[in-house]
Amino acid sequence: MVEGAKVKNEKLLEIYRTMVRIRTFEKATRELIKKGVIPTRMGFYTGQEAVAAGVCAVLKETDQIGSTHRPLGHLIAKGCDLKKLMSEICGKETGFNKGKAGPYHIFDPSVGALGANGIVGGSVPMVLGYALAHQLRGDGGVAVAFFGEGASNQGGVLESMNLASVWNLPLIFVCENSSPDVQTMLGHKINYPQISVDKISSRALGFGMPGDTYEGWDVMKVYRAAFEAVERARSGSGPTLLEFKVHQLTGNIEGSLEFFEDESMWDPIRRFRRELMFKGALNEEEDRWIRTSEELKVKEAVEYAIGSPEPNVEEALRGVFVEE
Amino acid sequence: MDERPITFAEAINEALKQSMMKDPEVILLGENVTSSWRPTTKGLLEEFGRERVRDTPISETAFIGAGIGASILSMRPVVELMLVDFGLVAMDQILNQLAKTHYMSGGAVKTPLTIRASYGGGTSSGATHSESLYSLFAHMPGIKVVVPSNPFDAKGLLLSCIRNDDPEIFMEHRLLYDLKGHVPAEDYVLPLGEAKVVQEGDDVTVFTIGRMVHEAIQAAQELKDKVSVEVIDARTVVPLDEKALISSIEKTGRLVVVDEDYERCGFCAEVTAIAANKAFEYLKAPILRVASPNVPIPYNPTLEKRYLPNRDKIVSAIKSVARYA
Ligand SMILES: Cc1ncc(C[n+]2csc(CCOP(=O)(O)OP(=O)(O)O)c2C)c(N)n1
Repeated sequence: MVEGAKVKNEKLLEIYRTMVRIRTFEKATRELIKKGVIPTRMGFYTGQEAVAAGVCAVLKETDQIGSTHRPLGHLIAKGCDLKKLMSEICGKETGFNKGKAGPYHIFDPSVGALGANGIVGGSVPMVLGYALAHQLRGDGGVAVAFFGEGASNQGGVLESMNLASVWNLPLIFVCENSSPDVQTMLGHKINYPQISVDKISSRALGFGMPGDTYEGWDVMKVYRAAFEAVERARSGSGPTLLEFKVHQLTGNIEGSLEFFEDESMWDPIRRFRRELMFKGALNEEEDRWIRTSEELKVKEAVEYAIGSPEPNVEEALRGVFVEE
Repeated sequence: MDERPITFAEAINEALKQSMMKDPEVILLGENVTSSWRPTTKGLLEEFGRERVRDTPISETAFIGAGIGASILSMRPVVELMLVDFGLVAMDQILNQLAKTHYMSGGAVKTPLTIRASYGGGTSSGATHSESLYSLFAHMPGIKVVVPSNPFDAKGLLLSCIRNDDPEIFMEHRLLYDLKGHVPAEDYVLPLGEAKVVQEGDDVTVFTIGRMVHEAIQAAQELKDKVSVEVIDARTVVPLDEKALISSIEKTGRLVVVDEDYERCGFCAEVTAIAANKAFEYLKAPILRVASPNVPIPYNPTLEKRYLPNRDKIVSAIKSVARYA
């Protein structure tokens, strides 16, 4: 697909809906943390929804992703069941991983969501293996590695770029650069820079793959870039590094429930809604319907999680090996 | 000495500050070490500047390696790991390079680096954010492993680590940071390898370390009318104070080893082996271990509670060994 080609309205609305779903789900998660129902702090994705939604809109259920410590956007966009997701975050037996994973270690192989990850950069090398399996089986599948600008400095991530390139793997590196203007880490303004180049995507050249930087708050730009990179990977032409600039809207770890007005210019949902309305692809009533129905789904997920049983305490000691 | 109650985190902060004041070659590297919401390193940037107190990229291999290299040129770097689990990313630098260089070089090269790492369970943070892992470092010859349980020890042991010519990993339990205790304002060092009897007793020795010292004290309190428990804080895994262990067993004849790290091949196993080898003739009961099971740490708080060693588990272990006459 080339720049400017038409994307069907249905697809656009599906992407918009995914973004709204992520935002709504995270808001509910924040509230449950505040209420003490969720026993931990975690990383949120608010402001980055366009990246997960735009990239995953190009993927099939049989493709895989590796995620991060801000996993909710990626997992939801990849199609994870909201009830099981919320249950896992609440530590319930009905969660994807019996309440043993928690937000940082969720795995849902049924939709190719292969892992939130508590180790910065930790998921990326494994994504090579998902791509390798597709390559060897010749099934046309691809894999996507999501990671932050901080993670882009991990040895394992840089080693993976080299290996993906020399093996010509069907893989897309998606770097979400959350401090494109001022270098920060977890919201803290660092006193020495961690990145020595203007664009992380310029590192692609050194690994012999294409790479470019895009505005991650513009979901159509994300979608188009991902479409091209995924096509390239599926056709056997190898990996691509995509860098998306993003702004985390509500602070890093927990943040507040509301965001500041001056951040709203970076809000990918607000922006996309305006665009869709301008195009005539969405009207006020349809928008209300999308929001309400997503709120309902999330509410159901919350109720399901709260109503779910705690895991049996002896489960704590089971499951180290497949055969015990 | 001028003593005042300060927190564990403030004690560490004070040790860093005093060592940096005395020695311009003490530098501090780590992720977000200049962040104002981190109490252990608060104020150090303002006092010593960004050349000596620097935020690193998330590149544990590289910045730990940088610390090792600077230490080889006889600087005194302190490198911070946000959590000890993240150190696993840099195992080559820690276990191959840092640990072995002095020996391999026939003593020609020293690596006086201190790695500070927070550790520990109890916050429902999941399997890669809750581990203790000190036994892993203790397993590799060449690194001293220091695990303070209170503010006084934290300050004196950290100053010792920084000034010592050997490499250390200095482990800070995340649930201890707010613990208050009396700490001298002056600069002082405590020797590495000296355990401390934190409570004297005659019937059962509880040999432990780190945050578990507090659980052991509570267990001893609970049993105080029934069993006379001696609680010993090992303070360092390497070197291990064998003398303190053996002389306590000589008195009590019964040993319970308590440790938050995984049970297998760990601190507990090591202490048990030493006791079996060197205090066999004093033992009246089997040695019991209370440690984390050989299982990753579950996220769910109820499961995590079931999983972690605690006062109740220590109490029942003490009762079991006390039954032997
Ligand atoms: C190996 C490792 N080191 C440090 C951490 C602690 N940590 C968690 S998130 C984070 C910042 C990650 O930055 P980035 O990759 O840019 O992602 P962002 O938070 O900006 O989305 C750090 C340092 C960790 N989880 N794993």
